[in-house]
Amino acid sequence: MDALRTALHLFFIRPLLHLLFGVNVVGRENLVGLDRFILAANHNSHLDIFLLYSALPPCRIARTHPVAAIDYFSKPPWLFKAVQFLLQPVWIDREENGIAGIKEIQRRIDDGRSIIIFPEGTRGAAGELEEFRGGVGLIASRNPDVPVVPVYLEGPERAFPKVAPFPLPLWNHITIGPPQRLRGKSRDISARLHAHLEALAEEERAYRQRRMPEPHQPFVVAVIGIDGSGKSTLSRRLAGCFEGDSCFIGDRLELLKDGEPCAAQPLIANEVRKWVGRQAKSAKNLAHYKIPKLAELLLRDRLLSDVYRWYRPDRVFMDGSPLLNMTGWAILYHEDAFNEEVCARAMDILTGNHVRGKRDPIFKQFPELLTLRKLNLTHLHLPDAVIFLDVDPAICVERVTSRGEAVQAHENIEKLTKLGKAYDLVCDVVEKNRPVLRLTGEKSIEQLSQEAVAFIGSAKDETD
Amino acid sequence: MLDDGSSIFSIIALMVLAIFQMVTLLSKGRVASPPSFRTLVVFFLAMALSEWISFSLALWLLALLSFRALREYLSLVDIRLEDRWGILASYLSIPCMFYLIHIEWYGFFIIAIPVYAFLLVPFFVALGGRSQGIVFSVGVLDFGLFFFVFCVGHIAYLLFYSARITLLMIVAITCAGWIHKALKSRPLRLKFLLQLAVVFPLCTGLASWTAIPMGHSAILGVLIPFSVCLGRFTLKELEEDLGIRADRLQPGRGRTIEGLKSYLYTAPIVFHYLRWFLKWGDL
Repeated sequence: MDALRTALHLFFIRPLLHLLFGVNVVGRENLVGLDRFILAANHNSHLDIFLLYSALPPCRIARTHPVAAIDYFSKPPWLFKAVQFLLQPVWIDREENGIAGIKEIQRRIDDGRSIIIFPEGTRGAAGELEEFRGGVGLIASRNPDVPVVPVYLEGPERAFPKVAPFPLPLWNHITIGPPQRLRGKSRDISARLHAHLEALAEEERAYRQRRMPEPHQPFVVAVIGIDGSGKSTLSRRLAGCFEGDSCFIGDRLELLKDGEPCAAQPLIANEVRKWVGRQAKSAKNLAHYKIPKLAELLLRDRLLSDVYRWYRPDRVFMDGSPLLNMTGWAILYHEDAFNEEVCARAMDILTGNHVRGKRDPIFKQFPELLTLRKLNLTHLHLPDAVIFLDVDPAICVERVTSRGEAVQAHENIEKLTKLGKAYDLVCDVVEKNRPVLRLTGEKSIEQLSQEAVAFIGSAKDETD
Repeated sequence: MLDDGSSIFSIIALMVLAIFQMVTLLSKGRVASPPSFRTLVVFFLAMALSEWISFSLALWLLALLSFRALREYLSLVDIRLEDRWGILASYLSIPCMFYLIHIEWYGFFIIAIPVYAFLLVPFFVALGGRSQGIVFSVGVLDFGLFFFVFCVGHIAYLLFYSARITLLMIVAITCAGWIHKALKSRPLRLKFLLQLAVVFPLCTGLASWTAIPMGHSAILGVLIPFSVCLGRFTLKELEEDLGIRADRLQPGRGRTIEGLKSYLYTAPIVFHYLRWFLKWGDL
């Protein structure tokens, strides 16, 4: 029987794999001279087990057994019989605990046979090494004199991935690592084996062609707050605090390299935005303020795309965020209708994440949203981190009047209090998927920027 | 078809290659066989088969070569999971293509890839249902089909017309390729001139044996080095992007493509030149 099994593997499965898929074995010499071993490999595909058999020395084929889940192969019966005959696996019942399986594996090892085990337990995501289950560590710690051979399979995850209905002829590379004699606790053994496989995987990944470099996405920090809260001062200051290229988008557009301002190519969107911004500032009342301000915000968002494209900064600091400002202002205009849910929905529509039907009640409430969507202007950027400056409106009004410029229509205590509350609501919503820092205005600008820098550092780590 | 009688040159070439292989084996690694060795064996074997046994055997041998090259190329490029139907369609185009050569249907052979495959492959890729990156996927598949099926198919069609001309072309291209490789860091002009110095006498000297008129033989002697330089220059850049490096060739990692490098550009050029000017078949 063993002879027939070996012959089937050698003269049928192996040539078939070579002809159809292509098999390249590196490190075959690592298996020579071992009378028994535990083979630990990554598992991505149904091809894996046959590929591993085609890397074994011929004399070992009949004396090596994989560990397999019985519930997966029990139906149909012919499949069970075929697997049983070809591989003689150690069956593991996933319903019960693994004691019986471990005992059976131990029995076969004591019998002088070798074991193939996939420590990930099941076929994982393509090209990624999952966490190891405990079994391999347990077996290895009980048999310290049996070497464990790490094997990395590259290719089966492309040739026959888990979700694919059919296999495709693509090359498979089997890297057999040096045999390891591992001692110690079972958990340590698992961890070390994982590290070994990860090292083999790194080597293999170096061969892969990468289609496109990862798109360069700057980290966008928006500082929001009511007029006169010092948000533009803070964001300008923050832009100078970081190494690398930073960009500040406020009333002016500045590009900073390692904290020093440097010359930048002028952008047309910025010039237009400045002009529109001046129109908004000279508005007599809130009704006249609405349209130019909306246009200014949309242009500011457009400017963000232009900055991405032309300057490629590492970080962008924005004095206000078009999306959040727009939502805040919407709350100001329709104070009665807003709550957290409506706010989240409106932001979903404005970022283009959620496509809602025309009949959605929110459009009846806010016809502006429908107009914006018709104009295809609902692709606003959600900043990666938000800093909210919560300053008492009385102080703000004082600051604004002390600037000596013409006071805008909404810059009185009553309106600014409402606006502050609106921003507070917006921050509650944003907090669900982006980090938000709330700062109160009592502190000095140095303290504020220190806190903000620490926050940005942690937020960036989190996103990476 | 155009040859009068079978020649034993391809068999002699095969024997030379066999002796070389013996030397490689006996030297235990001191003499390494070049990457184009296996490809060359396939070509000479195909020529010997078509002359002494049957053309269709040789044809399917070349189809296998085409399959191996395409498989290697597709293993090297970055493919998406959704491209699987498109890849399956590209593989299936190989038997279709070589069957067209088998039934000698030139008119369809010449448009099968540039018209029908290039229309169908994007359709199958689109079946995957993800638009992100689809342009690159279609480009990658079309490029692979063009080079590794269409251009290799031209070698097979040339073999159908005349094994002698194929032999001449293969030998000339191989010599030119070796010269190109040996003068790695020299200017392209010097490479071209040296290739010309070898290939031009070869083509003109064998003019009576291959039955190509003297004038056309001379032009071929210029055309082959020129297209080899062109092809190797282009494919060098492509290989670099695919991650194929001459110092770490492995099966499945560039060995077949590296071996086929010089032939891909030259075969269609030579084939169409001869077919047009020697008026093979109706045009």
